[in-house]
Amino acid sequence: MKIEVQDLIHTYPSGETALNGISLVIEGTTPVAVAGQNGSGKTTLVKHFNRILSPTKGRVLIDGVSTTERSTAQWAKKIGYVFQNPDDQLFLNSVRKEFEFGPKRTGIPPEKIEKMLPIVADLCGLGDKLEIHPFDLTATEKKFCTIGSVMMIDPNVVIFDEPTCGQDIEGNNRLISIIRYLRNNGKLCITISHDMKFIAKNFERVVVLCKGQVLTDGFCKDVFAKPTILSQSFVSPPPICRVALGMGLKQSVFETEELVGCIVQNMKRRNKK
Amino acid sequence: MPAVIQVENLSFRYAEAKKYALKDLNFSVEQNEFLCIIGANGSGKSTLCNALMGLIPSYFSGKMKGKVTIMGETTSETTIGNLSKKIGLVFQNPFNQLSYTTSTVEEELAYGLCNMGVPRDEMARRVKEIAKIIRVEKLLKKNPLELSGGQVQRVAIGSALIMKPSVLVLDECTTQLDPLGSEEVFDIVKDLNKDGVTVVMADHDMERVARCADRVLVMSDGEIIALDTPRAVFENEELSKHGVDMPDYIRFGIALREEKLYEGLSPLTETEAIIIGKELVSL
Amino acid sequence: MSEKSKQAAKSKSKKTSSYVPIDSPIDRLHPMIKIYAIFCLGIGCAVFPFLWLAYSVVVFLFFVAWKAKMLTKFAGFITAFAIPITVMLLFIQGLYSPKNVTILADFGFAKLGLEGVLYTFKTVGTLLVFLGSFYLMTTTTYPGKLVTAMQDAGLNPKAGYLVLASLNVVPQIQRRIAVIQEAQTARGVEVTGKLKTRFTAFLPIIGPTVMSSLIDVQERGMTLEIRGFGAKGVKPSSLTELNVSPAEKAIKRVLVTFLILCIAFAFSWAIFTRVR
Repeated sequence: MKIEVQDLIHTYPSGETALNGISLVIEGTTPVAVAGQNGSGKTTLVKHFNRILSPTKGRVLIDGVSTTERSTAQWAKKIGYVFQNPDDQLFLNSVRKEFEFGPKRTGIPPEKIEKMLPIVADLCGLGDKLEIHPFDLTATEKKFCTIGSVMMIDPNVVIFDEPTCGQDIEGNNRLISIIRYLRNNGKLCITISHDMKFIAKNFERVVVLCKGQVLTDGFCKDVFAKPTILSQSFVSPPPICRVALGMGLKQSVFETEELVGCIVQNMKRRNKK
Repeated sequence: MPAVIQVENLSFRYAEAKKYALKDLNFSVEQNEFLCIIGANGSGKSTLCNALMGLIPSYFSGKMKGKVTIMGETTSETTIGNLSKKIGLVFQNPFNQLSYTTSTVEEELAYGLCNMGVPRDEMARRVKEIAKIIRVEKLLKKNPLELSGGQVQRVAIGSALIMKPSVLVLDECTTQLDPLGSEEVFDIVKDLNKDGVTVVMADHDMERVARCADRVLVMSDGEIIALDTPRAVFENEELSKHGVDMPDYIRFGIALREEKLYEGLSPLTETEAIIIGKELVSL
Repeated sequence: MSEKSKQAAKSKSKKTSSYVPIDSPIDRLHPMIKIYAIFCLGIGCAVFPFLWLAYSVVVFLFFVAWKAKMLTKFAGFITAFAIPITVMLLFIQGLYSPKNVTILADFGFAKLGLEGVLYTFKTVGTLLVFLGSFYLMTTTTYPGKLVTAMQDAGLNPKAGYLVLASLNVVPQIQRRIAVIQEAQTARGVEVTGKLKTRFTAFLPIIGPTVMSSLIDVQERGMTLEIRGFGAKGVKPSSLTELNVSPAEKAIKRVLVTFLILCIAFAFSWAIFTRVR
């Protein structure tokens, strides 16, 4: 899958320009994180990938096809999108029906649905809750129910809009395993998040937006080494990385063990001298 | 000095639920304290916040035992309208904070003040002041329904701060804010706390909890499993079984001790961690 | 952005009530004066025995609409309402009113009577005055200002809440439907195109809309209370400032005088016709 964004400009009917000339290529299966301050255009950008929004100027190509050539419902087969608020999506009377709704709509054969359902349900931690009414799920479970209902369509690209919002360790770990599963199955995962710890540990590439433009785009290691640039978009490196940078280390470090390792090496080098 | 919040033998079971969501809680919060509530989702953090505000038992049907006293007033014996003069609550979902009766952010911020009969001049002054603090000055004439999640969250927080409550209860209220924006909000809360406001805050960001809290209350399955200083709570590795994530700074301290590089207490803040790290590197 | 495009953008943005924000002398007028106008003009025309008064007032309302920069919208509203109601009433009253004595035309199956026709025009005139002035009031009055005015006049805060909440409910549902529709299309539901596809798309959307409004209602009460609604022993205040200017006081006097004159005339006319 290849997503090409070319000089994308988006102006809302209110006259507000949310995206102001974005060019970007996302391809392969390496998960990509999108970060940036509130109102920087993150959601507006990803909503162009399945044509919930159409460009005011510029274009978005999916495997060379302009998004405007198909409807959102047609793109649903290829591009899955999990919205931020689960209450906007869930409407059937059981988790199972929610899971089956999307694939039935997009014409996935029943055998395949049947085969996928237990796998997805398990990944989402809803294996024993399939007959429950989504209304009775907890906020976290609802979120995973929406994630599962999009994964069931088996799209090539899955977009998550702030999935880490309000998650505890268990929820975060579940998300991590879902992102890994998607990658191992040849899917591209694009995730909007404000949780830099989560991004640094699970994504190789991060795109940081600021005021409708790409502020910086690259490997987490490089992006998080530039705290002053990041602060323009109200983003800061994850805690351990900030400690490392504050100590004067040149590279960014995301794990405690790594930081301690650096210190040990540093001391050894000194002792030799 | 009597406690600002006094929770005695508090238990609560939601109607139709089999298990108690809160089980025999006993604790008190002193004037000017900053108490953080942590625990896995479903451990009872939000339920406890709602109980402090008196929404339990008024709005949530179920079985409540024990009592909650806020500045001498028992929640079950007064109205929420009256409690709101002393205590402010910011919900997890900012859209639930909106009154849905106003057409501009400015009016939305002023809504609570209107209910309190605050004179117009003072109201206008406070709206201006709060708008500046939460940085929504440019949004004042916008319709609250047109804002993004992060912007609504700012307005929601502002609508509670503008009431100048003596006690502020925050239920994971910055989840949709960008990292520095959310730090900014906590600096505001921290400043209010310095000025005498008692703060109770449920949060998942452990680094922040370690930095802000005077005491940390750990909940698991509706029970209090620890109530102590941040250092005492986070250095206790047993607690990780209950879904308590250790702040990275503490983890750093523990790792250094294991490597026999350091013997002191684990750092609680970024600054402390940097000082320890710098010393080791420059030895 | 130029001033013009700014205004265009403003009018395109989502509405929260039937209020249209266009600055005009009518917009700036104190809401209570507008409410006075609805009642004084409406009741005055209703009791006045002759047709011409109501239609003169309608002409006056057109002038007000022009002043409020909404002449076309107002004309549209009046015609959309006046034509069907007139035809309907003419049919019922003109042809079948028991008061019909003077026959204007004979269609065979029924006779058109002068009394019925007059009655129709009288009713339509009065209705136009009432509805036209009410329409102008709602489109030119900012809801917050209206409720402030009503509260200043002694309206109970709970009633004030009801007014505001009901003014806001439709745009809120519209917004929700738009959001939910987006979420559904992303799951493969076509919401545009043929009527049938649109209808089948509509069904799954009803569920979450109803569901989330149910959640909303439950939580709204909580929110209002934690924000101090219904605190005892307080007289609510408001952010919007409202003062009655001398000109507005004069308008109010004119309106009340109009009403009194109408009633007095109607009364004397009734006595006069009876004596005769």
